[in-house]
Amino acid sequence: MPASSESITLTGDLHARPAGALAVAAGRVAASVSVTAGSKTVDAKSVLGVMGLGATRGQVVTVSADGPDAAEAVAALIAIVSEATRVGG
Amino acid sequence: MSQVAPRVGIVLVSHSVQLAEGAADLAGQVSGGTVRVLAAGGTEDGELGTSAEKVALAVASAESGAGVLVLPDLGSAVLTVRAMLEDMPGARVVLADAPFVEGAVAATVTAAAGADLKAVATAAEEAWHARKL
Repeated sequence: MPASSESITLTGDLHARPAGALAVAAGRVAASVSVTAGSKTVDAKSVLGVMGLGATRGQVVTVSADGPDAAEAVAALIAIVSEATRVGG
Repeated sequence: MSQVAPRVGIVLVSHSVQLAEGAADLAGQVSGGTVRVLAAGGTEDGELGTSAEKVALAVASAESGAGVLVLPDLGSAVLTVRAMLEDMPGARVVLADAPFVEGAVAATVTAAAGADLKAVATAAEEAWHARKL
């Protein structure tokens, strides 16, 4: 199955609402998706896992997907992380 | 798409009006506001306790065609929910054994992603394993 991965430097902290937006979007894709920050990797579909990353502004976050829609999933989730952490909350 | 498939509804049963409403507000905002999250907190007169009538009303309001997950805050709320469910045969309602705040947030986010009732209940119950630190 195709795999895809992309990294982004956070412009804001990965608080509750950005984590929620990420997990909702991840839950809608068929691929399995993970998010890595520092030494922690979690299932992107688990909002509690994403919140537990404690990812902060300036940190590099990597979104990885494996499955039929992996490339689209990574692009969509990177866009959400970029937008949601810029807005904050 | 103009038609969105129905989402699983969430009912938060707490002994406290404020705790139920606060958790519903939090879960609703974190999930983006696309899921019906209903608070059923306190007794009929707003004291600490639970009300089968409030729970029944909340379950009816939360149902949009995909079923309802009910989360109790403490074990004693389970009695009220079970009694209420006996009076609603045929309702697609699952009672989850989950931590209240984490379970509410995980269940609502999972419902917002379009998951079915079983998957939403599993997300709530898996919240037992989520570490904060």
